[in-house]
Amino acid sequence: MKQQDSGGMHMNRRQVLLGGGALLGGLALGAGVTGCGGPAQAAAGDIRFWHLLSGGDGIKMQAMIDAANGQNPAFKVKPTVLAWGAPYYTKLAMASAGGRPPEVAVMHAARVPGYAPGGLLDAWDLDLLAEFGVRPEDFSSRIWEKSQFGGQVFSLALDSHPFVMLYNTELADKAGVLGQDGRLLEINSPDRFLEVSRELQRVTGKHGLSYGYLGDGAQMWRLFYTLYRQHGADLVLDPGQPARVERDVAIDCLEFITSLLDNNIATKSGDGGTAIAEFAGQGSGLLFTGVWELPTMKTAGVPLGAATIPTLYGTPAAFADSHSFVLPHQAQADEAKRRGVYQFVASMLKGSLSWAEAGHIPAFQPVVRSAEYAALDPQADYAHAAEIINYDPEAWFTGSGSDFQSYFAENVQNVFLGRDKATAGWDAFISRINTVLAMPNPV
Amino acid sequence: MAGAQSRRNNIHGWAFSAPFLAFFLMFLVWPMLSGAYMSLTGTSLTGANTGFVGLDNYTEAFADSDMWRSLGNTLYFTLISTVPLVVIALALAALVNMGLPAQWLWRLSFFSPFLLASTVVSLFFAWMYNPELGLFNDVLAKMGLPPVAWLNDPGVAMWAVVIATVWWTIGFNFLLYLAALQNIPQQHYEAASLDGAGGWRQFFSISLPQLGPTTVMIVILQILASLKIFDQIYQMTQGGPGGATRPIVQYIFEAGFTGYRLGYSAAISYIFFGLILLIALVQVFFTRKRSA
Repeated sequence: MKQQDSGGMHMNRRQVLLGGGALLGGLALGAGVTGCGGPAQAAAGDIRFWHLLSGGDGIKMQAMIDAANGQNPAFKVKPTVLAWGAPYYTKLAMASAGGRPPEVAVMHAARVPGYAPGGLLDAWDLDLLAEFGVRPEDFSSRIWEKSQFGGQVFSLALDSHPFVMLYNTELADKAGVLGQDGRLLEINSPDRFLEVSRELQRVTGKHGLSYGYLGDGAQMWRLFYTLYRQHGADLVLDPGQPARVERDVAIDCLEFITSLLDNNIATKSGDGGTAIAEFAGQGSGLLFTGVWELPTMKTAGVPLGAATIPTLYGTPAAFADSHSFVLPHQAQADEAKRRGVYQFVASMLKGSLSWAEAGHIPAFQPVVRSAEYAALDPQADYAHAAEIINYDPEAWFTGSGSDFQSYFAENVQNVFLGRDKATAGWDAFISRINTVLAMPNPV
Repeated sequence: MAGAQSRRNNIHGWAFSAPFLAFFLMFLVWPMLSGAYMSLTGTSLTGANTGFVGLDNYTEAFADSDMWRSLGNTLYFTLISTVPLVVIALALAALVNMGLPAQWLWRLSFFSPFLLASTVVSLFFAWMYNPELGLFNDVLAKMGLPPVAWLNDPGVAMWAVVIATVWWTIGFNFLLYLAALQNIPQQHYEAASLDGAGGWRQFFSISLPQLGPTTVMIVILQILASLKIFDQIYQMTQGGPGGATRPIVQYIFEAGFTGYRLGYSAAISYIFFGLILLIALVQVFFTRKRSA
């Protein structure tokens, strides 16, 4: 493989001077901080890997890294875990802009359009990937499509993690909404969904549905976009032009969600922690959440079923994003390490059955097609979601943990709380988005 | 001879100051100049640079309603946090100074929250403010009052942050006031007692005037600290609901680091810097007048 071109990152005289100044400062500080280097510092052959997975996901990820390190004695991957959201993406962008980022990192696939065109990421070499047994046909079409930008592959998805619906099979049975096959009866309209939720509420005596959204733009957006896409509606964000949206559909979705938050079907004031606690404590029969909450509910001993969010408006659709491997742009890429990175990523993709145990749908199809995966319950019940997933509309400011989702929260939370009309909240959101679209693109 | 000595002294002086000067220039003066220049450019966090744009960033910022709103939030927080942080600290110090038993316990109780990290305080209060499971709403329910959406009601959220901040940081002002109160000569109070002055009279005619310089210092420190508000808001509300608590520092962070627009972010920083400078000048003007 050729030495990576440093692209637009050649240093100018000022940067050299600045670097020299920083070096002098570093030397002056050196005496005081050498104690911090030591064992934590990466050895010359180590591959630095940044990711944003904590909690149960983090433990799983560490086990997969250990397994990959065990299988490949040629390298040692040293992970650094950073808090997900703005802190992670900010640090990754800054490290890449400085030309000395980690050799490999995890990003949400939907964030890639904010990084790739700015030269912050390097493209994957498909020939080298094939050498390690990873080919385009190993990914489902939606996921593979998302991995590309401008005709090049910038991200390799480990999974897709859609927004789904977990349900309590015991409570559903009591409410008479469980089918003979042990799965929730089909729900195919908004009215039917309200009915089922009310039935469940009568059984729990508390709520039918748990949905934590307060203070959490991602949660609000995930449900909204799932329902919006179920209408077959598009949302197109082209810089320099106003957003193209279907306003009536959007308002309809917001009004439907608000109708769920009536303190009967679901609490009006639910945040993430409250919703999880309520469903885990059997205080509700349904939970709108990401697949990553599955292990929590299994540990809590909830008799669990899982499904995609019911298709209420005709078109099956689920909001999702993918944890994807990316190559942050390095001013001076080390060829041997790059090779190690490819080998590492191939090992991780092939070992993603273990990742599926954490609830995520593996992106690597040979794993999804395996008998071991089919035996995972209830994961196998929503594996088909990979065919109906919808990533955020593409723009440099969208994607998981982005400002886009914050803008949504800023304008829509009051609608969900019943303090603002759906039309007012939606129009304010779109007006904010149009302001950003009108700005010069900083990427 | 004298000239040579003075030159030698000069050289020694510069040599001793050099490490400090180097750091001062490198980490304060240079970043300030660099930031000022950056505010006149279209620098992006991704390394892209649309070059020199003159005052465009400033023009955009002055027309940016979110910038004004964030600035307004910061000033609002400063106003509603500074008043209780000064008045309650004074009241607590005066109470403790009255000679309550177990003084060390009071001092410890009022001061110890100040030692906690902002993350701890934010998590702690976020749980207490939880609309469903939190302590505050539980207490309200027991009193027969309706629940309050502490961090999710635009009209209440900033006050919720202020309550947490007052609980967390009042200990510092309390200690300053207590130290100042204990420095007031006892004879003044004895003389006033002989003249028949009661407790309140003594407080308003002796304690308060003697605490004047301390109060000025506390108010200045408090205003500066409150203007820098970021941590607890970012952790408790992320600036929400609907931007109702987003302070200017968060807006600067968002413009530069999540919006990638470092040039624009630098321009807002300088606008904020100008505002702080203005407040400082007003304070200098008033304190000068006082001491004149």
